[in-house]
Amino acid sequence: MSVIPLPKKQAESLLRVRDLKMHFPVKEGIFMRTGKYNKAVDGVSLDIAPGETLGLVGESGCGKSTLGRCIARLYQPTAGEISFEGQDIAKLGRKPLMPFRRDIQMIFQDPMESLNSRHTVAQILEEPFQVHKIGNREFRQKRVKELLDLVGLPARSVTRYPFEFSGGQRQRIGIARSIALNPKLIICDEPVSALDVSIQSQILNLLIDLQKEFNLSYLFIAHDLAVVKHISDRIAIMYLGKIVESGVGESIYRTARHPYTQSLISAIPVPDPHHVAHRQILVGDVPSPINPPSGCNFHTRCPQAMEICSTVVPTLSDETQPVSCLLYEASKT
Amino acid sequence: MSLFKLNPQTAKKLRRFREIKRGYYSFLILAVFLLLSLTGELFINSKALVVSYEGEIFFPTYSAFHPGTDFGLDYQYETNYRQLKQHFTDTGSDNWVLMPPIPYSPFENDASTGIFRPEPPDAAKQHYLGTDTTSRDILARLFFGTRIALVFAIGFMVAVYLIGVAVGCAMGYLGGMFDIISQRLIEIWSNIPFLYMVIIVFSVIPDAFTIFSRILILLGVMVLFSWTSMTYYMRTETYKEKSRDYVAAARVLGASNTRIVFRHILPNVLSTLVTFMPFTIVAAISAITALDFLGFGLPPPTPSLGELLKQGTQTLRTAPWIVMSAFGTLVVLLTLVTFVGEAIRESFDPKKFTLYK
Repeated sequence: MSVIPLPKKQAESLLRVRDLKMHFPVKEGIFMRTGKYNKAVDGVSLDIAPGETLGLVGESGCGKSTLGRCIARLYQPTAGEISFEGQDIAKLGRKPLMPFRRDIQMIFQDPMESLNSRHTVAQILEEPFQVHKIGNREFRQKRVKELLDLVGLPARSVTRYPFEFSGGQRQRIGIARSIALNPKLIICDEPVSALDVSIQSQILNLLIDLQKEFNLSYLFIAHDLAVVKHISDRIAIMYLGKIVESGVGESIYRTARHPYTQSLISAIPVPDPHHVAHRQILVGDVPSPINPPSGCNFHTRCPQAMEICSTVVPTLSDETQPVSCLLYEASKT
Repeated sequence: MSLFKLNPQTAKKLRRFREIKRGYYSFLILAVFLLLSLTGELFINSKALVVSYEGEIFFPTYSAFHPGTDFGLDYQYETNYRQLKQHFTDTGSDNWVLMPPIPYSPFENDASTGIFRPEPPDAAKQHYLGTDTTSRDILARLFFGTRIALVFAIGFMVAVYLIGVAVGCAMGYLGGMFDIISQRLIEIWSNIPFLYMVIIVFSVIPDAFTIFSRILILLGVMVLFSWTSMTYYMRTETYKEKSRDYVAAARVLGASNTRIVFRHILPNVLSTLVTFMPFTIVAAISAITALDFLGFGLPPPTPSLGELLKQGTQTLRTAPWIVMSAFGTLVVLLTLVTFVGEAIRESFDPKKFTLYK
């Protein structure tokens, strides 16, 4: 089993995910029998070091959000290991999970959806402390003010409701909530996708500042490679529930090896009118994760597909820039 | 940050409700009527408000039973205060009696001739809407009948909401097998014919039961066969809210199921359910009136609109005032509640409601 290596020489990774599988049962017929499984995440392994950002990129429906939600333990994974500071949390129930809830937090895509519209900012930000029974009322109110200050919102916002803020400000409230319990890892599930481009960079910079200040680790999920490049130390590319390639931020842009990564990178717009784009345009849609193609599950859309691709399942290679493609496996042997 | 500070969305909805004049005034009229009717014994009663006898002041309305001998009369049964008043006036004594504006109780047969028959409205006798077939004052019976119908309907609504919200929310929140099995059971349950059940239940209740417990049993039977429709709305709304990200955010924080349901899901779901409340009340009033009309409703001699309607249709030619007043009251009552319901629906409509007004 090859694993995406850590770039820095760190003995202990903060998060260690091994062969994680999340298969959702598909209920069919009047008796709701489970006939097939939606293999949203199908054998993912990754590591995140303290203070590091791992960018996770993929088309919609590739399972990247499901992976994030599994790690945040919104879902109970079907199989595999999620180790946080050496302890496997993949199968823990609600009560034993509580200490880990303080360490692993999440930022959601649409802040309007992820903030309860009937609660004031104070109620939203006090909830983490209430749930974990931390401090008294005075302490909580003080912490709420501090949190608002950290994310750049005025202290008078406490009595306001989410709908009174702009999209970027709302996401700041969501960020404040996620850092309230001093977590070590934050799952950012497309935190800027719902925002205007002009606001995106502000939020990204806020995330980078907070990371520096509190030594946070991020699992940064996005479908926009340009955004991921800005924030990530390492990047992993996901396709149909599997990681197909990963590597250190800059190098993956320069030396993309997997045909899927190459086509994604060729699709990044270049702000240069004289630039002649050589786009590798993928044809067709992402196949259904309920009936994934045989062999390499990218072979149906791969411009460089070989005959062998429809029968042999590639595995992630054991290199500094691991790739899961038979093109490279063949050249090695 | 006071505890009673309204959510601005709720405040805005209430403001819109007040702007819809028809519904707002209907609501005020109903509220005032309901408040007045709680002290209805002060306005419509055969017992006097105040009796001054030999320098002593009595308040018979809410006080104990006063036999006629208490006021120097020659009988042991309860004092007839109308006669007492007449008696004091005739004898010209310093004693006096203050009667309510309508000096009749809804249970009292006031047949001056000794024969029970409907009398037309007569202001001199203070039977402002006449009497019914057993010579009881129609205004008194209408007033108390409406009060019972309203209180009954509100009790019905509260019970239906409590059960329906609890079951529906559990189904939507827990989902899975629990949801499927409950859903099938509810479908079977809601297909049991309600009217037959009422007839069966009432035929087996022993006569020894008090009127109050009979009314409670009727309420229970009606609630038992009506809560199911509430669960449909509640179930789907809970499913919808449960899958939203703010619930996921609460779960990532480690919030318990109880906390998620009571602090997050219920407040968001209930605001839509408020819209149904007045229509539930309309349905309850109509149902209880219909049951009374058929003779399976509130046990006699409880004053009720349906019972008056039944009398009225039987004496349509000889005593048209009975059906006219009962029908008029019912129409006004249901119209007012419906106006309130329309206004609530209008002001709580999430589609018309913009956050940036």
